[in-house]
Amino acid sequence: MSFILHGIGVSEGIAIGRAQLVSHATLEVAHYTVPADDVVSEVERLTQAIRAVQKELESLHGAMTSGDAPAEFGAFLDVHWMILTDPTLSEIPKRMIAEQHCNAEWALTQQMGVLVEQFDAIEDPYLRERRADVVQVVERVLKVLLGKPSGVRPAHAEEQTILVAHDLSPADVIQFKSHHFAAFLTDLGGVTSHTAIVARSLNVPAVVATHNARTLIRDNELLIVDGAKNVVIVSPDRSVLAEYRLKQGEFELERKKLKRLRTTRPTTLDGLEIELFANIELPEDIEQALENGATGVGLFRSEFLFLNRQGLPSEDEQFEVYRRVATGMEGHPVTIRTFDLGADKHKEGLDGLSRVAPNPALGLRAVRFCLAEPRLFLTQLRAILRASHYGDINILVPMLVSAAEIDQTLAMITRAKNTLHEQGVPFDAGIKVGGMIEIPAAVLAIGAFTRRLDFLSIGTNDLIQYTLAVDRADDAVSHLYDPLHPAVLRLISMAITTANKANVPIAVCGEMAGELRLTRLLLGMGLRHFSMHPAHLLTIKQRVLTSEVAMTRPLVAGCSRATIPTNFPRCWKSSTVDFAGRGGKLPLRRFDDQLAGARDSGIGVTE
Amino acid sequence: MQTCNVAIINRFGLHARAAAKVVRLASQFRCSVSLVFNGRRASARSMLAVMMLAASMGSVVRLETSGPDEAAAMTAMVNLIGKGFGEQR
Repeated sequence: MSFILHGIGVSEGIAIGRAQLVSHATLEVAHYTVPADDVVSEVERLTQAIRAVQKELESLHGAMTSGDAPAEFGAFLDVHWMILTDPTLSEIPKRMIAEQHCNAEWALTQQMGVLVEQFDAIEDPYLRERRADVVQVVERVLKVLLGKPSGVRPAHAEEQTILVAHDLSPADVIQFKSHHFAAFLTDLGGVTSHTAIVARSLNVPAVVATHNARTLIRDNELLIVDGAKNVVIVSPDRSVLAEYRLKQGEFELERKKLKRLRTTRPTTLDGLEIELFANIELPEDIEQALENGATGVGLFRSEFLFLNRQGLPSEDEQFEVYRRVATGMEGHPVTIRTFDLGADKHKEGLDGLSRVAPNPALGLRAVRFCLAEPRLFLTQLRAILRASHYGDINILVPMLVSAAEIDQTLAMITRAKNTLHEQGVPFDAGIKVGGMIEIPAAVLAIGAFTRRLDFLSIGTNDLIQYTLAVDRADDAVSHLYDPLHPAVLRLISMAITTANKANVPIAVCGEMAGELRLTRLLLGMGLRHFSMHPAHLLTIKQRVLTSEVAMTRPLVAGCSRATIPTNFPRCWKSSTVDFAGRGGKLPLRRFDDQLAGARDSGIGVTE
Repeated sequence: MQTCNVAIINRFGLHARAAAKVVRLASQFRCSVSLVFNGRRASARSMLAVMMLAASMGSVVRLETSGPDEAAAMTAMVNLIGKGFGEQR
């Protein structure tokens, strides 16, 4: 009989294939008494099982570093390794075996129960969810104790296989990577679960949080997984199957079409040349940037060199990294943003560290911090300048707020240039220096920026946070974080218009640049330079290729005049949609449809 | 013994991966390293104990180091937590 399961689609796409169930060891644990003579060997059995899993995790870790698993997976495996080797997990069960003469499986499951209970009492939902890691580690040990290898049979190459599990551990998922499953289904999990991450990295559809998939689906049953619609269709009838085969073909075609756009120049229908650059965090990211057709790096977040390490990176170390990115981009421009670090974060500042900044976002961060630590700043500037000899490098300075700060920064760059000049070290004397526009004050006093700097880049994430006084990381107010708030739109529009008039190139490098529904709005505001996560480049390019800037301008003019968020959509007279109940994401999509509709119908919509 | 109060500034708090970094760092020193939060004390070398402290973003945790290299351990721990465990915020 055919039925449908709902879950959370964490990776798009459609898969059609046979179910393969993964068993669930914790449910199969028996309780029996071990003869007194065997107690010592029972404890040893547990020790050996833990050691075996430890080795398994270590070899997976080794196999992974040479393979193509996402970097996060190493961290997941580390977490499991540490839980496994934590005496808290194994000492009490060993004592239980010795005192109560129970079997190892039972003792370990009891301790797992105690730990899970403690996790359940945690209020923070994210931290509470980590009990899943404890369960997954225990499951692995149990499988060894029960003599059941944890592996699954590889999927048939000729037939699509869909993995159905209660939950998947990172170690499971890494093993399954090479098995070529057509899709993943789990009872548990969320958007950030291991299954989700690996499915996305493999470009395989996945639906998690199906609650009962593992119990309702039988082995070898035919399934359709629709990652975009969040559904699983079990034993579909012939017509549904035919429909989905068609959809699947269309989806694949769409994906292939996007790939073909890699080398296409992004030009609008009315012939405007647009630049689509990539944001990167580490030198390795340039590979993905080039694969997705980026013609430059618009934002290299250099502070990532700082993180995950003890001490500061030296000038030579930084130079090597910057040069690697510059040469790796094969002559395309690379914009390096100077360190955007938060409050006092370096090793000499121990006193400063123990002082908790009452409001870090408004404290000593980014360029403020760099200007307060001239030695650190000069080291970075010298490293960037030295690398500029080997490619097309620009310097981008974050968080600038006043003319004095810009002058101070430019003076530092001159100083760095002078020291290099004196030492006879080559660099690009004409290196361009730009500023981030991410504080409302910077937009309102943008003249000070356009007169002093070679280019500008709008950091929309911070601009929205500072304009609306909303900390996006704070769940209690995140619903107020609204890129379409008229105040935000007006600031962005103002910045773009002024910069264009002053003939100073301006880009958007915040998340808004990679949002499909905002592309036409930004084009209409006069934006020509976009910089975004490499994953969004091709879809945005497709949108640019099908947009006509002249058509979007009147809409932009109207929405910039709107005063409060609820009034905002009234600027479209042709609107047939009732926006009174605005909230959530729906109106944003409608908004974009409006823009698309206006173009398609050839009707300019004015106020 | 050295003590220092530090705030957890990263978005997800002292979650699994952050806790792993704490454990790895603490294991490099000879002195004892403890975290005290909400009336509970955890050895910084026990993954489970650190995770079960459940210190979410914004909570202030007391660090205690005691032993031969307590000063170096304190500097390193404060540095790690103060940087938000090297996570993007």
